[in-house]
Amino acid sequence: MGDWFEQNGALLGLALLDGIASAALIFMVAVGLNLVFGVLRVLNVAHGSLFAIGAYAAASIGLFFTSAGLPAWASLPALLLAAMIVGLVLGPLIERLLLRRIYSEEPVLQLLVTFALFMILEDAQKLVWGVQPVSFSAPVSLMGTVDVPFGADVIPYNTYQVILLPAIAVATLIGLALFLRRTLTGRVILAVTTDREAATAMGIDARKVYLLTFTFGAMLAALGGALSTPTASLVPGIGASTIVLSFAVVATAGLGQIEGAALTALMIGIGRSIAVTFQPELEVVVPYLIMVAVLLVRPQGLFGVVETRRV
Amino acid sequence: MLELQSVVADIAGAPVLRGVSLVLPPGGRVALIGRNGAGKTTTLRAVMGLLPLRGGRVMIAGEDATALPAHHRTRLGIGYAPEERRLFGLFSVRQNLLLPAEVLRLPKAEITRRLDAVFTFLPELATLADRRAAGLSGGQGKMVALGRALMVGTRAVLLDEPFQGLAPALALRYAEALRGLHASFPDVALLVTESNPSLLTPLVDQTYVIERGEIAHDGAMASA
Repeated sequence: MGDWFEQNGALLGLALLDGIASAALIFMVAVGLNLVFGVLRVLNVAHGSLFAIGAYAAASIGLFFTSAGLPAWASLPALLLAAMIVGLVLGPLIERLLLRRIYSEEPVLQLLVTFALFMILEDAQKLVWGVQPVSFSAPVSLMGTVDVPFGADVIPYNTYQVILLPAIAVATLIGLALFLRRTLTGRVILAVTTDREAATAMGIDARKVYLLTFTFGAMLAALGGALSTPTASLVPGIGASTIVLSFAVVATAGLGQIEGAALTALMIGIGRSIAVTFQPELEVVVPYLIMVAVLLVRPQGLFGVVETRRV
Repeated sequence: MLELQSVVADIAGAPVLRGVSLVLPPGGRVALIGRNGAGKTTTLRAVMGLLPLRGGRVMIAGEDATALPAHHRTRLGIGYAPEERRLFGLFSVRQNLLLPAEVLRLPKAEITRRLDAVFTFLPELATLADRRAAGLSGGQGKMVALGRALMVGTRAVLLDEPFQGLAPALALRYAEALRGLHASFPDVALLVTESNPSLLTPLVDQTYVIERGEIAHDGAMASA
């Protein structure tokens, strides 16, 4: 064991840092998916498309900023701007034109509709950005690297992924938890999540809450995508792999769990990067192995609560 | 205050209300009695706009509210305590009580005044205020649901089977609270449903009996 660590310590450290960085992104997407499902009760497969479009939009806006001669630091706000635009435009459009019509339909039909939307958006994205890889890595080079001590080793890692991404994910986690519990709008969202009809009887306009929540969720997905841009090469299919991973996180954590989604994202992110480092052929299955192992023991998810008794 | 005119409603294609008419006068106390499945809950849900009507009208405070969206009905002063309490388990008792008043964007002073009035009327709620609603017993939950309805029910409160599943001691306490309702909230009309008429007899001025979605009998309590 000691020998193994001596030989592979740096590799393990690297895998952990990779895992943390990817967990930060998975969390952003999964928490939005979770929030949207909690309120709308629609499993939005196209959530992954919003991630992909956010990523591409971030690259386009970033590259545009660069070509317009804006200073290098402007590449960071470019990412946020892309996420805002994608969420604020596509969110209301999708909710109003499509989802609103299927709230009372069977889950199977809802799934088919959001899957169809996913396919349409995937093709629309190919139409706009093509199939050649797109990349925009200015924010990474801008922020340089930090030396992360790990046991006897020192691992140089880029600041963007190891500091900024986790910081944004933690800020999102804390901000969201405070928003949901401390503000009236947040409590209204939670009330609709718990019991739509009772919330309506308390004077809450559920339709408005649906629109608001979906737009907010779309922004989180797009933000996840935009933040992935600087360290990823954007190709068709990133939306699909993201949504599948987010489903795994949401199912493992349990529905409606925000803090739980963060811990689960970390677990799955690190599990996957350890697999990539030491047993690359297992990379694809590790998230689902974790999911299956958890659901076998706790079908309601790691942090899910069994329905409380009514009387 | 509240009037149903020949209300017809279906649930999943099956007729549940077949022309229900009833009147709740301002400050009046009315019981709607009927067996399980007779249409009591559906009648109250119809008043709250929670299901589409196939016919008839719902008048609230003299206005036709039939097409009014459900979430606007608390604005007209209607408070509703559904069957099964339906509290928000994650919230504290206080947050549950405040929610409908906050959603109406009432002034802070008015919200405080109403909360104080509810706490005075149901002192047990003041002691439970900081407890999570999910941890309450059935009886405590019913009290909170009543208090929550009173926070916005300035004209009427609708209580759906409040005695259902209550232990005898709690049922007595609940009945005592209802008896005091008129003294504490004289302007608030009461519409309460129950399957067992004996519990409500001393508490109301008038009863309607509903059978298979139709009002079978109505009359002043004295003659019933």
